[in-house]
Amino acid sequence: MAQKEATVYIVDVGRSMAEIGYGRDKSNLDWALEYVYDKITTTVATGRKTALAGIVALRTDEARNEYSDDEAYDHISVVQEIVQIQMPELRGLRHELVVNGCDIGDAMSALAIAVQMISKQCRKLQYQRKIVLVTDGRAAMDAEDMSQIVKKIREDNIELVVLGTDFDDADYGFKEESKDTVKAGNEAIFKRLCDDCDGLFGTLAQAIEELGIPRLKTTKPVPSFKGLLTLGSLEDYPDTAIGINVERYPKTMVARAPTASSFVVRADMAAGEVTQSSATLVEDGTEEGAIGANTNGLTSVKNARTYQVADEKAPGGMKDILQEDLSRGYEYGRTAVHISESDRNVTDYETSSGLEIMGFVEKGRYERYMDMSRANLIVASRADEKASMALSSVVRALYELESYAVARYVAKDNKGPLLLLLVPNIEPDLECLYDIELPFAEDVRSYKFPPLASVVTVSGKILKIHRNLPSDDLMDAVSDYVDSMDLSVFGKDDEGGATEYAPPDETFSPMLHRINQVIKHRAIFPDEPPPQTYEILTRYSTPPSELAKQSQATLDRIIEAGDIKKVPPKARGKRGRGGKRDQDKPLSDLDVDALLAADPKRSASSKKISDDNAIPEFKQLLNKATSSEDIIDAIKQLGQIVKGWVDNSVGSSSDDRVIEVLGVMRRSADELDESDAWNEFLRGLKTKLLGGSLGGEKRELFAKLKWKRLGLVDAEDGEQKNFWKMG
Amino acid sequence: MSGSKPPYDRPSGEDEDDDDDEVEETGYKTVKDAVLFAIDVSASMLTKPTGVDPRKPDAAISPTIAALRCAYALMQQRIISNPNDMMGILLFGTEKNQIQDADAEAERSGSSYPHCYLLTDLDVPAAADVKALRDLVEEEEEGNDLLKSSNEEVSMANVLFYANQIFTTKAPNFSSRRLFLVTDNDYPHKSSRDARNSAAVRAKDLYDLGVTIELFPISHPDRGYQFDRSRFYNDIVYSSTPSDPEAPAPLVPDIKPASFSDGLSLLQSLLSSVASRSAPKRALFSNCPLELGPGLKIGVKGYILFKRQEPKRTCYVYLPEDGETPQIAVGKSELMADDTARSVEKTEIRKAYKFGGETISFTPEEMSKIRGSFGEPIIRVIGFKPIGMLPNWANTSKSTFIYPSEEDYVGSTRVFSALHQKLLRDQKMGLVWYIPRRNAVPVLAALLPGAEILDPETNEQLLPPGMHVHPLPFADDIRQAPDTNLVRAPDAVTDAMRHIVQNLQLPKAVYDPRKYPNPSLQWFYKILQALALEEDVPDLEQARKADKTIPRYRQIDKRVGKLTQDWGDVLDEEFRKWSEENAASIKKVSTGASKRSQPPANGERSTVGTKKVKQEDGEGITVADMRKAHEKNLVGKYTVAQLKAFLQSNDASTGSSKKADIVDDVTRFFESRMNIE
Repeated sequence: MAQKEATVYIVDVGRSMAEIGYGRDKSNLDWALEYVYDKITTTVATGRKTALAGIVALRTDEARNEYSDDEAYDHISVVQEIVQIQMPELRGLRHELVVNGCDIGDAMSALAIAVQMISKQCRKLQYQRKIVLVTDGRAAMDAEDMSQIVKKIREDNIELVVLGTDFDDADYGFKEESKDTVKAGNEAIFKRLCDDCDGLFGTLAQAIEELGIPRLKTTKPVPSFKGLLTLGSLEDYPDTAIGINVERYPKTMVARAPTASSFVVRADMAAGEVTQSSATLVEDGTEEGAIGANTNGLTSVKNARTYQVADEKAPGGMKDILQEDLSRGYEYGRTAVHISESDRNVTDYETSSGLEIMGFVEKGRYERYMDMSRANLIVASRADEKASMALSSVVRALYELESYAVARYVAKDNKGPLLLLLVPNIEPDLECLYDIELPFAEDVRSYKFPPLASVVTVSGKILKIHRNLPSDDLMDAVSDYVDSMDLSVFGKDDEGGATEYAPPDETFSPMLHRINQVIKHRAIFPDEPPPQTYEILTRYSTPPSELAKQSQATLDRIIEAGDIKKVPPKARGKRGRGGKRDQDKPLSDLDVDALLAADPKRSASSKKISDDNAIPEFKQLLNKATSSEDIIDAIKQLGQIVKGWVDNSVGSSSDDRVIEVLGVMRRSADELDESDAWNEFLRGLKTKLLGGSLGGEKRELFAKLKWKRLGLVDAEDGEQKNFWKMG
Repeated sequence: MSGSKPPYDRPSGEDEDDDDDEVEETGYKTVKDAVLFAIDVSASMLTKPTGVDPRKPDAAISPTIAALRCAYALMQQRIISNPNDMMGILLFGTEKNQIQDADAEAERSGSSYPHCYLLTDLDVPAAADVKALRDLVEEEEEGNDLLKSSNEEVSMANVLFYANQIFTTKAPNFSSRRLFLVTDNDYPHKSSRDARNSAAVRAKDLYDLGVTIELFPISHPDRGYQFDRSRFYNDIVYSSTPSDPEAPAPLVPDIKPASFSDGLSLLQSLLSSVASRSAPKRALFSNCPLELGPGLKIGVKGYILFKRQEPKRTCYVYLPEDGETPQIAVGKSELMADDTARSVEKTEIRKAYKFGGETISFTPEEMSKIRGSFGEPIIRVIGFKPIGMLPNWANTSKSTFIYPSEEDYVGSTRVFSALHQKLLRDQKMGLVWYIPRRNAVPVLAALLPGAEILDPETNEQLLPPGMHVHPLPFADDIRQAPDTNLVRAPDAVTDAMRHIVQNLQLPKAVYDPRKYPNPSLQWFYKILQALALEEDVPDLEQARKADKTIPRYRQIDKRVGKLTQDWGDVLDEEFRKWSEENAASIKKVSTGASKRSQPPANGERSTVGTKKVKQEDGEGITVADMRKAHEKNLVGKYTVAQLKAFLQSNDASTGSSKKADIVDDVTRFFESRMNIE
């Protein structure tokens, strides 16, 4: 459980916040809010009920706070008490946090109110307390009571952050020219304040810049296994077996971007109302809390599952079965194997949990591409010093011998065993084994590929010179390029020294942070398009430009020596499909075409495609076609056959055959530049499928064609899109 | 559809949850495989071998039975490894003509196929198919009626057209359809050119239909009969082997004739031939180029070489009330709007994120822009690093294998080859930006070169040459290590452990996955098969014996039993000392956790210093590094501070301060250690 948090943001909304600072395109308030909203929405995104926030506006026209009778607390408004911020609160803030016409309002008083709010909320409970003040520092402050505030902040252990628009910051390297004297004075006061209570004082520009650096979510390590790392059998050979108490924790775990749920436009909404603006509209209140109900005219989509079994008597050959009438089982081939509730575990292989070393392998003989999984780490049980020493000896022995262990891992009794590779790791404060799952025999596919450094011919000769092999020039160029693009010392460490470029801990998951960014942005600015992607998310999507520039000459040599030719898309089809099988003749040089011509059913005069041998005869007909008419005629014939199949089919029984034939037809039409004949046929087919003139409405088949992308040939995107519309 | 867009691809957004769905490469085709065995049942195929050891009944089987057993083995195997793929068995040259069911006959336009018998219709095998086949190969009387050859010659044209019809109707639109033809007759229709020509025409039909014919020829050396492809089958088979002797040889050469001397060896050779054909290669992607540098793309195809095979998930089964055979219930899901329960078309779906108690939505256009904002599918090289820089933990899932393809970029193979050779030679890897499919989540990956690995005995390729795209974690994916109270092992303990490690290596000190079948997966299918075929439940003890993942306890005891005891004693002793020295600073904790804890014996004075966290530079120098330096006589390359720290951390410090003396101390340290070893 993460710790409870309470944060109060104090936002200066005084008249001067409407100013637009030099070199910026938005008012100081909008700029400041960029920071504040980012922070708040980050908290909202966690969905944590224990992460609370409150917002105080400074220099408001009116005063809304507990002490508003006191003049010192005028022009300060608590616009949001400390709560878990949700969408309605965020919308409220959008209304409240706008530039006011007011010039006065004491930031110190606002701080006092914030401290009070926190104190009221948190009392003496365990909380992470924080106050963030964002201001341009242009209003007069009464700093007399500062020591009181400092005392309280320190007592309550509140983290204070003061950020100012265009505040001077030597560390960051910013100094505002011809600064207003009030502001200069205030900056000094804030600085002293932060110094006195170990707070953070900074200029807003830096804070905003740092928004682009993703924050990492830390997860408390939770062991996935606690047990013994054993060598030998403690049961059968108690005198010689070793057992060390260990715990296993995740080392890598892919942090996934939030996933979107499916919705549709609510029945009571016209489609246009929603698609016009994807905004989050103001809640109408009546449906609050209703499950699945949504505030922006959308309703959630459920996945309703129905079950059917084959039944000859039922229409369509299938009959519906209620889920409660079904039992569990497995498929063996296409046979159902029923397993009764009491036999549930019959397929489980009996095992006991444990981590057993099977033996050791040499580090140099393990290929990293066999890694099957994410990594975990294994440490000795906490508070078991002897186990720690024992495991340390294993880690060190493996390290010194440049060896790894292979272990059989069973997470829980009767779970299937996994094989793990145990890899030693030694750091100043941590000695552990990293583990990665290894493949079993069944997990390796025996795909075979020709060697890459030589070509073996049919007659068994081994060639070293061949168009598929690099020339010496190409070899050299690639070699130089690889050396030139070296990243091992291209990075810079904190002191500017050469270090590895882009190690994993300096790279950020682009999609995760991008999606979070656009969600947060849309939550605040429902009508604006998604913002720019942060640079850091695409930084490693291309080679570092400096390196690429200095390697350009060697790259050019590869391009020259490699002589790569892009195959135009159309030609690709011809080569890739038709030409794949090298030649259309059998191993012998038998003239099959002549035999085909001699076949009375397929002679030149008969151009009839038979229903039961449609694809071969279609292809053979095209092969001997001498004119465009021949091709068009073949397409028409085959089209007729397909329509017949659809017409006579029950349910979806002929769909796959239809798709296969259409695939052949479409490709042939494309390759032979007879797209019109295909398109005409396809349009006609669509009308018939949707119109129900081929044995009823066949929308499902049409949807399949779309999914298989068997659409128009050479059509514009818009035309294609239009074609796929079912309406 | 035109332009640069790949002609066939999944609809965008279809694979948002980017997992390892094998994306179809051939566009509209269903990525499935159908294998139809066509087995010759001629008189010579039914002849049992003579002079076979009577104690080996398995050796006394006829070629036809051997072929059927081979099919039986393949069927059982494919139920596990390719549960969605189809298989069928067609006997030809039989006396019987009948087709399995009358409906099918009618459907196949009334044509009849004399002397052909469809033993198992092409389909995903059912338990009954497996059972029937088992009975046929195990109890020969059963087959006597069936396995009788006809007096009249079967028409090969008919056999091939029958296969054509079976594939057309039973496996429509499959991406892979293969006819496995097993025969010992290299010259059918000896006296009729017309009949041979008709067969050639029907073979061409199969070829145009996209069916591959794999010929499994059988020779009879005892009769001096060598199967000769050129007499007939070269007109039938469209081989992958080009006729030009200078052309590159295909990786799977045509199957050599198997010699029939006894049934068992024939079965073995058929099984291995079939095994070489059993897995159709399926590409994961083919439109994701490798960009070596700006303006230089080459074509590659991606394949999955490693994938965890899981036991099947449970499904719903319907048990009819009349106690008939259980049926598999097919689940159909329909999208439904929550408010009105009306059914929803996929195109209506809007995506929205839950946020702050409500939803944040985007138009489909915005969504695809956001998801696609990191560009088109690509493997883009960012630069290169030594493979040693790949941290051991830097992995998130399995790798994808890539191999060059000339389809989109002519010349890809040579450039890929040059890169492959260079990376292998220098043990370097590429750092790549990797988007395997449109809208897939981009990751950074290591591009690892993989050398071709051959079986030292058979010279058969075990792992292909190529490169592996090995996904790397981002900072977001790296978890914090837990806090630990590290107690470093004194050298005495480490040394004792080293002896254990050195004496307990796996064969050849390498992990060879082929040696380790997944025991729970094997068990699962054994049980399932027993249930499906109503066989006896397999024996757990037997399964345990076959389980190669269980450590060999007896061997461990024999080989390192003494060493583990030594290690235990040293550990006890060292830990006792450590505890004494740290008694003041640590809280007493139970050490019962370590199973081998014995009452500490009173031993010699501790050589183990209390190992507080060492801050010296020398911490970075490991014993292994220093040993290397020592062996190369390069100990002097380290600084005095480093050497001192090294000695201290290894408790070998003698307090010398001159570099020469310290170097001597290090030398002594290793020499004394070597004596121990």
